[in-house]
Parts: sequence; C-alpha cells; structure tokens
Amino acid sequence: MTALLQLSGITKTLTGQDEPRTILAGVDLTVHSGQSVAILGRSGSGKSTLLSLIGLFDRPDGGTYLLGDRDITRLPERKAAALRSAEFGFVFQRFFLLKHLTAMQNVAMALVNGQGWASRRQRRARVLAALDRVGIAHLAKHKPARLSGGEQQRVAIARALVREPRILLADEPTGALDAETGNLVVEVLRSATDQGCGLILVTHDQDHAAKMGRVLRLRDGVLA
Amino acid sequence: MSGQLRSALIIGVQGIRARKLRTFLSMVSLFLGVLAIVVVQAGSQVAERAMLADVELNSGKDGTAQLFVPSNPKVPQVLAETLTGRSDAVAMRSTSATIGEPGVRALNPGASPFEGPGAGGYGYPMTCDSQGNCTSGEDQSVPKGVAIEVRLTSLTGDVRQFRPYRQESGRWLDFDSAPSLAPRIVLNKQAAVGFQRYRVPAQMRIAGATADPTPQIIGVVDDGGYGAAAYVRQDELSNWVPSTTATAGTPDPRFGGGTSVLLSGAGTDVERVLKSRLAANGVDPSQLRTELVQSRARAASTLNLMRWIFLGMAALVLLIGVAAILNVGLATVGERVEEFALRRAVGTSRLLLAGIVLAETLLTGLFTAGAAIGVGALAFKIAVPLLGSGRMAFLRDLSFPWQAAVAGIIAGLVAGVLGGSIPALRAARIPIATVMRA
Ligand SMILES: Nc1ncnc2c1ncn2[C@@H]1O[C@H](COP(=O)(O)OP(=O)(O)O)[C@@H](O)[C@H]1O
Ligand SMILES: [Mg+2]
Repeated sequence: MTALLQLSGITKTLTGQDEPRTILAGVDLTVHSGQSVAILGRSGSGKSTLLSLIGLFDRPDGGTYLLGDRDITRLPERKAAALRSAEFGFVFQRFFLLKHLTAMQNVAMALVNGQGWASRRQRRARVLAALDRVGIAHLAKHKPARLSGGEQQRVAIARALVREPRILLADEPTGALDAETGNLVVEVLRSATDQGCGLILVTHDQDHAAKMGRVLRLRDGVLA
Repeated sequence: MSGQLRSALIIGVQGIRARKLRTFLSMVSLFLGVLAIVVVQAGSQVAERAMLADVELNSGKDGTAQLFVPSNPKVPQVLAETLTGRSDAVAMRSTSATIGEPGVRALNPGASPFEGPGAGGYGYPMTCDSQGNCTSGEDQSVPKGVAIEVRLTSLTGDVRQFRPYRQESGRWLDFDSAPSLAPRIVLNKQAAVGFQRYRVPAQMRIAGATADPTPQIIGVVDDGGYGAAAYVRQDELSNWVPSTTATAGTPDPRFGGGTSVLLSGAGTDVERVLKSRLAANGVDPSQLRTELVQSRARAASTLNLMRWIFLGMAALVLLIGVAAILNVGLATVGERVEEFALRRAVGTSRLLLAGIVLAETLLTGLFTAGAAIGVGALAFKIAVPLLGSGRMAFLRDLSFPWQAAVAGIIAGLVAGVLGGSIPALRAARIPIATVMRA
C-alpha cells in the first residue's frame, strides 16, 4: 500500500540576516491513510518550517517528497496552489478567521479559491456538513467576534475539512486555548482520521501527543 | 463564467464591503479627477459648438461653398432660371426694405438693431457714388415715423441646410407652395423686437420696386446677425421688383453688394453650369470667386491647444486621485497580509490573488467614473437650459457629449490600473510560511 506522503532526507537552510542556518538536516517521514502523527520539539526546532514544506507553502532544499507516488519535491507554485486546495487542510495556532465574514463564509472561503466551482447551494450544503462535523452548525451565522476561542478554532477546522482533504496539518492548534477546550479540539482533529484522513499534529502538550498513533520528536533538524 | 472569475467576484465584493468607508474615501479624490476630465471634455465640446455656431449662421456649415456673383442686370434672371427648384444650391441677395408708414424715416436707420450693441442706429448711413464722393447724414427734412428698416434677403431655395437658422416662432419659408402675391417674410430676432415694440402698418417699400406690397410675416428666426433682417422667397419678391429694372441687379451696397450662391461643396455640376451661364450673360469669369467654409479646421488648432492645456490640468487632478487609490490600496494590502496568506494557503493562486486586488481597485475606479459621469451629465442637463438662451441659444440642442463619457471611463480605468497594480504585485508576493508560522 502506497503511503499518503513520504519524505526522505528533506533539508532546509534558512538565510536570515545572519549566516545561513540549517533548520532541517534530513527529515524522513511517512504517513499512511488514517494515521495520526504527533511532532514534538523545542521552540525554534523547525516544526513549523517542516509543516510549511509538507503543506507546500515552501519547497525543500534537498531530499524527496512523494505525495502518493507523485514526486512533488520541486513543484511550480501554480500546481502547488491546486494541491493545497485539493489535498491539504491547515489548522494554525492563531485561527486566522476573517472578522468581516460569518462562520459559514469563513468556511466557504476554502471553496471560493478559484480551484473549481461549487454552486451556492452546493457550497452551503458542504459548509454546513463541515460545521456539523466539528459540532458548531448552530453557529453558522455568527461572526468570529461572537465566538469563543474553542469555537473559532473549530470553525478553522471546518474550513480545513470542507474540501475533504487527504492530509490535515495542524501547527500548535491548542496553543491559544485552555486545557479543556484544547482536548476537545484535539479530539475533533483526531476523529478526522476515522474517515481515512492523515493527520500531522505539532504540539508541545505530551497528553495531546499521546492521543496520536505515533509520536515523533524534532531535534537537531532530524525526526526521531 | 469560470470558477476563477466567480471566485474573484465574490472575494472582491467581500473585500470592498468589508472596507466601505475606506473604499469611499479613496473614491472621493478619484471622483474629482474623473469629474475634471469629464468637465474638460464636455467643456471643449461646448466651446467648439460656441465657436462654430455663429460661423455656421453667418457663413455656413463646414463644406458649404459660397460663390460670389458680381452685380449685372442679367444676373437675377440667370440665377432664378438655373437655381429655382434646386436644393443643392441657393442664391441669396440682400436689399434694403422699409416696412411701415410711407414717407417717413425708419426708426432704425440702416436696419440697426433695437436692442444690444448698435441699438439706436449705426449712425447715419453714407451714400457714395462711383467717384468715391460720399454724402453723409440723414435727410433731416423727412420726419421720423413708425417704419422699420430691414435688410431683406431673397432666397431661391431653403438656405437652412447651409446656414442652420433657428426657428424662434411661426414658420420658415415654404419653397414648395405656389408663390403668393403678398410676399411672405420671416423676420430675424432683431427685426421682431421692433415689430413687437411698435404697431407697424403692413406696407413694404423695397428698393427698386414698382409698387409697395403688403407683406405677411409668417415667422421669426435667429440668424446670428446683429441688425434687423428679413427673408423672402425670391419668386415672391420678383413680382414686385422686376429683374429687368436696372436697380434690381444692383443690391444695396450697405449690405455687401452682389449676390452669393451657397452650394453643397465646391466643384459641383450646378456650379459649373451656373458659371458658364453667367459668363454667357456677360459676367467676367475672373470675378466669380468660390470660397469653401472650413471653420472647423480653422478653429481646430486653437481649440486643440485649449483642450490640451485643460486636459493637462485635469490629468494632474486625476494623478492625485491615482495617488489616493494607490495609498489606500497599499495600506489595505498591509492590513490584509494575513487574509491574503490564508487565501493562498487554502489554494488561491498568486495570479488570481493579484487579479482580485487589481479588480477591486478597477471596480472602484469604474464605479467612481460612472458616478462622475452621471454627475457631469446631470449638471450638464441642468445647466444647459439655464445657459441656453440669448447668445448661448446654440446650447439648447446640445446633448451631453459621448466623448466626455468615454474620457471619464478611460480615466477611471487608467486610475484603477495605476493605483491597483502595485498593491496587486505586493499581495501576490506575500510569503505564506512566514505569515502563518506559529
Ligand atoms: N523567515 C525566516 N528566516 C530566517 N530564519 C527563520 C525564518 N523563520 C523562522 N526562522 C528560524 O527558523 C527556526 C525554526 O523556526 P520554526 O520552524 O518556526 O520553529 P518552531 O515552529 O519549531 O518553533 C527558528 O530558529 C527561527 O528563528
Ligand atoms: Mg512553530
């Protein structure tokens, strides 16, 4: 069975104001359908950098990245945008909801991105289904300002799920939430894997990590 | 419509609606810029009409050829025979006529106007003989009475196709009906003032006439002239002024002398036939001059210079509008960094994102242009009837020039592109990873 995604020997060197720093020094990672992976690591160890490579926000300097059996190590930006839309769902520490749009419109944003077209009725149905999956369909008409942190993060998760991605990437999604709400959010994310979605969760919380199928640690640019 | 376009439309409208005040503020200065362009365009159109309106009335529409025929006893006969019933050539000959009490001096000697500059007489008319001895002064022995002097112009056909006299009231001369024994005359506005002011008996004395006919005044036109004038059908006048009399071929020297024939264009068949017949009747061909009316071309260079100066100023105003849009656009992109990064993260392509930002300013620009054109057209509609009286009468039949609308739309588009392209490029360059990193 082919893996959902397979990273081998991924390297990334960042060139800031100072001398270049190697953040990733040969990362190997394989994720299968329905699997969940927790990535732990000190702050600044390169977890977000790794997720941004997996999510095609950025490209690695070296190594190979296979999505299914397709080599996407050096993908042109236009195709990367299409893959981000079709294959990935993203959840961030900050929720990144647009404050002038309702929960529903925020979720629909992932459908209104120029990649294919769904009619207003189809969009509505899919958005409501996604909001229902995270348990907040009743808040569809609310704007972010009227939602609690946990509710906002669940809107963000619905936005990540609405296109039914194959891989869900979550970068410290509970970082801004209290423990109880954090548990709820992690449970919502984990339940997505029941339908065959792969999940990579970056977290500092051992308890949350323990709920994942595998726990990996990023240290000195290598996953172990 | 593709998914890209539909998405762009939704996102663009959401963006504008989320920042209504800001959009409005950026529109204000652009509005003024576009309005300036529209006003300059409309204004230059009006100025051109103003410059040409008087010329059209006095010498003729552009392309009209004017043939000057010197005096000769046989000329009226030749003109009448050649031109009667034709619509592409009309002969005009002016003479003096006085309508009113017989044996008195006219109220307006020399057909001077009753109102405006020159009212009360141009001074006493001078009469000069062929040796150049002029006798000045009015014959004081004749008492002044209720009589109005006009410059009476006889026409062989409808002259309005060449000189678009504006009907003020009543009717214009009808050249199709049978000639009437009582000559029907159309007054110009200046003559009409006199007839309105005084109770003038309907008796007309015409230079060289065998008897005094009773004219019927059938209408009033604005002919652009300053003095009192009247128009009559040549065949109705010739009942009273036989073309065989010597004076009939000698028009009043005070009114320019000679006969002029207005033709639709130079070098036509009528012109050739007319010239050869005139030559056969003793008119020296070298004295037949044809002049082509080309006022538009002559006025064009002056107008163009003015238009460019004003357009230059309007462009400066527009530039300020562009700067305002650009300023707001850049600030907005700065504010929306997270939104744009997020949109790219969920799969919106760079190109589409840039397109959306550009489309938002373009929409703003077009909408502003539409508003400015609307306001300009409305102002035009209100101002024209107010201004369009008296000397500005030519404004009455002037509609809002489409060139002004086109110029406004172009200005709005240009401002949108100029003000939107830099923010669009910035938006496309936002790195997702940096913005979304936790
Ligand atoms: N744009 C950048 N240019 C240079 N260095 C960066 C940039 N972004 C992050 N870094 C550095 O890369 C390292 C890894 O960052 P990051 O992946 O965000 O770590 P983590 O998510 O594990 O806290 C940090 O030391 C950070 O300072
Ligand atoms: Mg991080």
